[in-house]
Amino acid sequence: MKLAVRELVRKPGRFAVAGTALVVLTMLMLFLGGLLDGLYLGSTGVLRSQSAELLVFSSDARSSLVRSRISPEVRAEVAATPGVAAVSGLGVALVGGTVPGEQDVADIAVVGYEEPTDGIPAPPPSGEGWADRSLERSGVEPGDVLGLGPARVPVRVAGWVEDANYLQQGGLWVEPGTWREVLASARPDSTLAEGTFQALAVTVDPGADPEAVASAIDDATGGATGTLTRQAAVLSLPGIKEQNSTFASIIGVTAFVAGLVIALFFSLLTLERTGMYAVLKAIGASTRQIFTGVVVQAVAVAVISFVFGAVVVHLVSPVLVSALPFQLLPSRTATTLVLLVITAVIGSAVSLRRVVRIDPASAIG
Amino acid sequence: MRPVLLAFTEIRRAKLRFGLLAGAVGLLVFLILFQQAVLGSLITSFVGAIREQSAEVLVFGAEARTNIAGSIVLPDQQRAVAAVDGVGALAPLGEGTFTLVAAGEDTDASIFGFQPGGPGEPTNVVEGRLPGGPGEAVASAEDRDAGFGIGETVTTAAGGVPLTIVGLTERSRYSAAPTLWVTFATYEDLRRAVNPDASAVLPSLLAVDPAPGTTPEALAAAIEARVDGVEARTRSQAAAQARGVAQVNQSFMVIIWLVRLVVLLVIGFFFVILTVQKQPSLTLLRAVGAPTGYLVGALGAQIAVVLGLGLILGVLVTAGALAGASAGLPLTISPGEVAFNAALVMVLGLAGSIVAVLRVARIDPVDAVQRPSLGGLA
Repeated sequence: MKLAVRELVRKPGRFAVAGTALVVLTMLMLFLGGLLDGLYLGSTGVLRSQSAELLVFSSDARSSLVRSRISPEVRAEVAATPGVAAVSGLGVALVGGTVPGEQDVADIAVVGYEEPTDGIPAPPPSGEGWADRSLERSGVEPGDVLGLGPARVPVRVAGWVEDANYLQQGGLWVEPGTWREVLASARPDSTLAEGTFQALAVTVDPGADPEAVASAIDDATGGATGTLTRQAAVLSLPGIKEQNSTFASIIGVTAFVAGLVIALFFSLLTLERTGMYAVLKAIGASTRQIFTGVVVQAVAVAVISFVFGAVVVHLVSPVLVSALPFQLLPSRTATTLVLLVITAVIGSAVSLRRVVRIDPASAIG
Repeated sequence: MRPVLLAFTEIRRAKLRFGLLAGAVGLLVFLILFQQAVLGSLITSFVGAIREQSAEVLVFGAEARTNIAGSIVLPDQQRAVAAVDGVGALAPLGEGTFTLVAAGEDTDASIFGFQPGGPGEPTNVVEGRLPGGPGEAVASAEDRDAGFGIGETVTTAAGGVPLTIVGLTERSRYSAAPTLWVTFATYEDLRRAVNPDASAVLPSLLAVDPAPGTTPEALAAAIEARVDGVEARTRSQAAAQARGVAQVNQSFMVIIWLVRLVVLLVIGFFFVILTVQKQPSLTLLRAVGAPTGYLVGALGAQIAVVLGLGLILGVLVTAGALAGASAGLPLTISPGEVAFNAALVMVLGLAGSIVAVLRVARIDPVDAVQRPSLGGLA
């Protein structure tokens, strides 16, 4: 193993070609991962930030907030269902908003809500809202009065909340009356009467099974509702499942290509060193020791390439964030590293057969 | 032995090595083609409806930032646009996403409401006819097997309004969902049926055609200059600037170019290492009379074989993946795009091999007598 590490230190240039390819592949995987996370997080914040276990939509809305309508009568039926501890109303209006001192209109998801959730404080007074910090990129600052929708409904930014966006529009969390006013002015055809919400967030009784309560709610409303767990509601947003599977398969194929590059490189390297390995075996080195050296080199090349690739992606990420829904999470960086290391180990294993077959006797002719 | 034979003999004796390389190139080609297919299909599925409608200029509410789903045009703005010089014809165009029951299944669908005979009509009707009255619709042909065939009836899940399909459009989907076109009056009925609380149904856009002698660009500029709170775009601008289109394009192009770069690096480094390994044998061949062209020819033949096999493999895997993929939209790639990408991979592969070719070309036969491994004196 020491020999393998020494070779890496003394002759790093020997590994430069494979390393460069792996740097580019690392960049590709991190870019894809960052894009996937940015798309997922930016679209689903409103649903993920609910502390309630269940979300209730009207059954004809196919879990789309903007198409769903829950009347006060249906809400009363939901609230009376056994296992339901608390019910609160939820709705969004996707609008453009003017920002003081800015030329461009900001894309805003106005979220009407009744109860505080994880990370979102209690609703602010009428005419005020908690803004998602991503709106800072559109020039929004606390204290600004935004003009929402074509009627420029004024809403003052009371403070920041985090990770609370919807369908790539910056979340602005307001009390239900303000949301209803914005919705009616921005989409008169989507106006909702007092007491009507788009969806309900339902907290179940302690110890109750959320899935069972969800079925009980849909039964109690006579099929007027479609109740989903929070995670199921997130995954039923348009395109989320397809997006996840498409990106995951592209990342998987990229990792596979990285494995092939490593396999190819180290099988060539092993071929080149057949003579040297024969000598090593002749003086007592075991196949296991030689192969460990190959694996160590493969992992080291993968890790060093990963570091270079990750640094480049992190350096350019501010530019990417301003143009694309790109968000690189520490967990994504870590899983990509693990994936690359596993790939390196498997890729280098292709050389094992060749190392095993080396005959120590060939060292002397 | 001819250079090609020398190249093939070596490939036959090192199947794993060349197989791995061809496999890597094949997968890279697959990555490029598959993503090109996703990109093209996504864009067509996102904005096909904008491209395939008759209005030359579309007017949005300014706060929507050219996003149809977020746009409404207020009555005052409609009157102001109609009064702008250069407006030849003007009609409302509505768009909304509805839950429809088609073939017994709930489906999300985008529905456009247009004025028959006015600007904003679907232009790519490939079968049947345009809707003439209430309760009729044309649907996207891509969804005909999902209950949107001619003669079939779909209903809104809320309100139960029936729509009979009387025609089919192609490449005219919007927002990657089944897309229907109905008269504006039917669109208003659908809106009110879904939400009885609706206070008014306003058009999402105004579809405008310029008067003779006015260009679409000039008309769009004139509308923006004279009417507050609206944005006017020509048809192609509206498609290019639709929500997400630019970002999707940029993201995919970054990914595709990174993969192309990997093709160049992988091919390049493989043949450089191979050449370095074979240097003594190649030097000996040169010393016994093999001309540089012979060795370069053999190398070129190997590069061509690897690239050719990689391309065939990549195209086959792509064809299989496109047939079996469930990306939520019909994925296709045109033969032209396949040919373009294949040619580009060839060029990149050859560019990546330049270093190896130069190394072979620079081999000095005299080295043969200076290398102890070849029997020479150091």
